Amino acid sequence: MRCPIETHDNAELLLAFCARKLDLDTTLMLERHIDVCPNCKEFYEGQRTVWQALDAWEAMPVSSDFDRRLYARIENEPRPWYSGLQELFSARWTRHAIPLTAVAGLLLTAGLILQQPKPSVPAPRGPATASVKSEIAPDQLERTVEDMELLGQFTAVARTEASSDTL
Amino acid sequence: MAGFSKKLAQPYMTQGVNTNMGGAAATLDYDAELMLRVKDGDSGSFGLLLDKHRSSVIHFLFRMVQNHAIAEELAQEVFLRVYRSRATYEPTAKFTTWLFRIATHLALNQLRDGKNERTQERLDDDSDDMPARQVSDRKPSVEQSMVYESKLDEIRRAIAGLPDKQRAAVLMHKYEEMEYSQIAKVLGCSESAVKSLLFRAYETLRARLAHMA
Repeated sequence: MRCPIETHDNAELLLAFCARKLDLDTTLMLERHIDVCPNCKEFYEGQRTVWQALDAWEAMPVSSDFDRRLYARIENEPRPWYSGLQELFSARWTRHAIPLTAVAGLLLTAGLILQQPKPSVPAPRGPATASVKSEIAPDQLERTVEDMELLGQFTAVARTEASSDTL
Repeated sequence: MAGFSKKLAQPYMTQGVNTNMGGAAATLDYDAELMLRVKDGDSGSFGLLLDKHRSSVIHFLFRMVQNHAIAEELAQEVFLRVYRSRATYEPTAKFTTWLFRIATHLALNQLRDGKNERTQERLDDDSDDMPARQVSDRKPSVEQSMVYESKLDEIRRAIAGLPDKQRAAVLMHKYEEMEYSQIAKVLGCSESAVKSLLFRAYETLRARLAHMA
């Protein structure tokens, strides 16, 4: 194999070998290479010395009152005035309820708008006009009823979702 | 936040962590899931995260600033910032990446401020306030103890002699066993830059510690 040290891109391979992070086949191949390559052997032995030295550097144990001091700091943290609102709107149930409520509100508004009596239009003369007028009114009424039913269904779903989340 | 400490005794889930967050959350690591529960108000999950990562954060900071008291102070700040950020937390990366990004940022600031030079502890400081120093051999003779202390001092100086970012990269690579990609995200640089940092750092360490072979 090509010497990993000579090909700078493969120096990473040597480092991984020293850290024992290579697969078995690559490890065996590098072991055979290191046996015959003085540069790689020097790298490997030097790196192994570094690992062993770093392993010997054990950190000190954590103070027994670390957690107590941390929680005391957390409890003494001044809370911003908006934190209550922040917690309210970050709660999972509000993330579902708010959009559903908004949809229900829009549909309610649409229903109210459709229910408003249209401004009276002077009846054009002639019998044909009377028949057209009578055809429009039932369709409009039907649509309004459908919209109200849909609004009722959305409101029921919104209530169900909100109540299931709070449980 | 009255009674915060009491809440830690009552974790949100008593039978492991179940996620009901759907398919998109399947790729979240366990720590990120816990942090999302903290976001939802579950302080018990914060306790679980603290238990899991307390030691590694403190040890990393200790090896960075080489002062135990300062390391614990910085670690407190790390977890305080984690807790403060709970409302806006989004799992855009691994939790440990975010955690060590905060820790590294604080450590680099500490080193840059130069306070470390005035307060770096000495090996012969046997103040009663300091926890017992750990060495590899638990029951050494006096001579062995002196050899270990001398060795420890050389290792500390070798690490302290590295540039700050090289030091952070080596500590994360060696002690946290992070991959290049994760170290890159913590340091805010490219993967190739991390490799360059590590190779130069290890080259320096090999030169300084070669006599320990």
